[in-house]
Amino acid sequence: MTHAFPYLLAPHLWSARNRARRRERGDFARGCLFGAVGLVVFAGLYQGSYWLTGQLEDYAELGDYLLRLGLSWLFLTFLSFLAFSGVVTALSTFFLSEDLRLLLAAPVATRRIFHARFLRTIGQASWMVVIFLAPVLMGIGRARCAPFAFYATTLLTVAPFVVIPVAAGTAVTLLLVNTFPARRARDILMLMGLLFAASLVILLRFIRPEQLLRVESLPDLTDFFATLQSPIGPLLPSFWAGEALFSALRGQRDLLHIGALWTTALAFVVMLRAAHERWYFAGFSRSQEASKARFNRLRALDAIARALPLSPVRRQLLIKDVKIFLRDVGQWSQLLLLLALVLVYLYNFRVLDLDRIPYMSVFVKNVYAFVNLAMAGFVMATVAVRFVFPAVSAEGAAFWIIRTAPISLSDFLWSKFWTGLVPVLTLTEGLTVTANQFLGVDPFLKVVAALAVVFMSLALVGLAIGLGARYPRFGADASQVAGSYGGVAFMMQAVLFIIVIIGLLGWPSSLYVLHQARAVPLTYTQLSLMSLCFAAAAALSLATWGASMRSGVLALERMGD
Amino acid sequence: MLRLPADGGCRFPVIALHHLVKQYGQFTAVDDIDLDVASGEIHGFLGPNGAGKTTTLRMIGGLLKPTSGRIVVNGHDLATHPEDAKASLGYIPDRPFIYEKLTAGEFLRFHAGLYGLEDTGVGARVREMLELFELGRWEHELVESFSHGMKQRLVMSAAFLHRPRSVVVDEPMVGLDPRGARLIKDVFRRMSAHGVAILMSTHTLEVAQEMCDRISIILKGRIIARGTVAELRSQSGGGDGELTDVFLKLTGGSGLQELDDVV
Repeated sequence: MTHAFPYLLAPHLWSARNRARRRERGDFARGCLFGAVGLVVFAGLYQGSYWLTGQLEDYAELGDYLLRLGLSWLFLTFLSFLAFSGVVTALSTFFLSEDLRLLLAAPVATRRIFHARFLRTIGQASWMVVIFLAPVLMGIGRARCAPFAFYATTLLTVAPFVVIPVAAGTAVTLLLVNTFPARRARDILMLMGLLFAASLVILLRFIRPEQLLRVESLPDLTDFFATLQSPIGPLLPSFWAGEALFSALRGQRDLLHIGALWTTALAFVVMLRAAHERWYFAGFSRSQEASKARFNRLRALDAIARALPLSPVRRQLLIKDVKIFLRDVGQWSQLLLLLALVLVYLYNFRVLDLDRIPYMSVFVKNVYAFVNLAMAGFVMATVAVRFVFPAVSAEGAAFWIIRTAPISLSDFLWSKFWTGLVPVLTLTEGLTVTANQFLGVDPFLKVVAALAVVFMSLALVGLAIGLGARYPRFGADASQVAGSYGGVAFMMQAVLFIIVIIGLLGWPSSLYVLHQARAVPLTYTQLSLMSLCFAAAAALSLATWGASMRSGVLALERMGD
Repeated sequence: MLRLPADGGCRFPVIALHHLVKQYGQFTAVDDIDLDVASGEIHGFLGPNGAGKTTTLRMIGGLLKPTSGRIVVNGHDLATHPEDAKASLGYIPDRPFIYEKLTAGEFLRFHAGLYGLEDTGVGARVREMLELFELGRWEHELVESFSHGMKQRLVMSAAFLHRPRSVVVDEPMVGLDPRGARLIKDVFRRMSAHGVAILMSTHTLEVAQEMCDRISIILKGRIIARGTVAELRSQSGGGDGELTDVFLKLTGGSGLQELDDVV
């Protein structure tokens, strides 16, 4: 008896069930944290879209138009995200996933493997989009008192909408795996990362959100709408999805666009399946060949390491860590994604012409400097939990080399610290300085923010390294380590630290800016209190740094007990 | 031409490779190999590291596409009838994948489903295989808690679960304790006595000498010698030496002189 294709997904469901039954340490805390964060985000998105839709209703036809446009933009953004996500996910699910060796050695028809893997690809690539869309569309529906048919249409629209870009992305992966030199299969990830970064920036250029802030300055409202609408092609599925939902909001049925979505999705799946049956095995066979070593010389790195005032042990540890990181495309291609988001973040500051908005005072602009600092802190925490926290665990099965070598564990851990600090500090300092420059923040606040990033980097990288040494998971990959008990503990402490630091810096800085704006000199007491706050922030950072590193070294030393 | 096993019985080749070639770019990993393994035969596949053993076995397992040549398993061409060919084959890779969060029983039941075994009777067959490989009391334990040797035995029980006509196994003894190794040897012998064709790559030459009806030695992608241990001895021009000596003679010396220089 041949089971239907969903049987091939059974191990994943059984594994999830087993994982839920046999809880590990920290699972409850992790569940609570992620659940709470998820609920807050869900509620925020729901309330946000509800409020915004309600505001737009005050503008009658103009509001309708903006809502329609907003839906198209939303789906256009997701269209590009899903296509990219489809490429990356398909590379993993169709070509690099370890269980494929088990499935392909079994007498399973190619078509069954395709169906099971494509379903998994759709799920993995689109769950974030679906979870984001649900509260947003619910908020819109409630604000417009939408009939039940709107929610039914939502399901009928979103389902084919996610299939189309994911199918296109999977087709691109199939093509690339069969086209690229066989030993470069994983390099596709890197290429796709770059393409996604570029497409995000291009998309934002197309949408030109800053135009919204220039309504008053435009001589003709029609020109304004024409400017906004031009990049959104009526031939794209995002347009069809937006139109179908907008019609449903008004109690109408737009069968044409829903039909277009379903027929296109079906056509994409049928064509992809045919292509898969023709080229999949050849592509899989190529992707099984050992990946070619890249950066196999890196003479510049060796030269730089030699020039640094380091002991031979630390120098070799540094060279080893950097080389391993550079050769693992899966690791640093994720940095490209982060870089893309940072570019978009900076781009927003670049195009936001705040002077055109009458109510955007100097003070609000300077408050933005702290929003920016908090954002830099969260970027720092995210990068640290993903790339710095797993640094000790990354030694994996090779940790015995360190343990048996005549080097101190303190040397080992400090080497990890400096290797992590330099990129984190460079990224976040660059982000903060550039964003503050674009905003035109007060020079005093620029200096405060730049110094704060230095202290925060020392503390957060130290915390990540220290906790990473206390809660190592040598058998897991980096992303699993980041989501482990220690990773969650790090994120909670990091967020708490950032909030306290922002509080300690925010009050004296706002006091300074207020007095500057009113041209009133600060009193001696105020200056003393300000200095105390700044000193407290610096002391807290240094204490977190030192204590975390010390506890990390002690944990490593106790490991053999 | 099919070479019959030592007992001269009339057996047909269950695994047959015809002019098999695998190229990675300019590099030829497997170069025009012909090989056949008859029903009930244990065929050793020996060669130094990087000679092309694993590549050949992975092509037979359906994980790599040959550049040219044919693979026939139980009369089915792997290229044109892959499902029929794979249904009669058990494949044990050198680095097997097992879902770590499944129990041993769940893993075998899933495996049974992949090979189309009927639901009724699967439970009994799973328990039978777990008992055979001394994993009975671990049926409901997660695979992640297993030692390397236990995982190896679990993969082997999966490979024999669907009663294959042939088994391809890459380095079966790695990581097994003496008891585990003995168990695997016994199972292989019993399976072969029931007509299962076994193609086995190994670096443990004592195992090959003890178990294999015939041996093929591969070097730089080409089969350089084939036959029973006695035939290999005569091909290498050696007397009654161990298989290790024969192997080293055929594949290029021991390098002991260089070792002395280094030491």
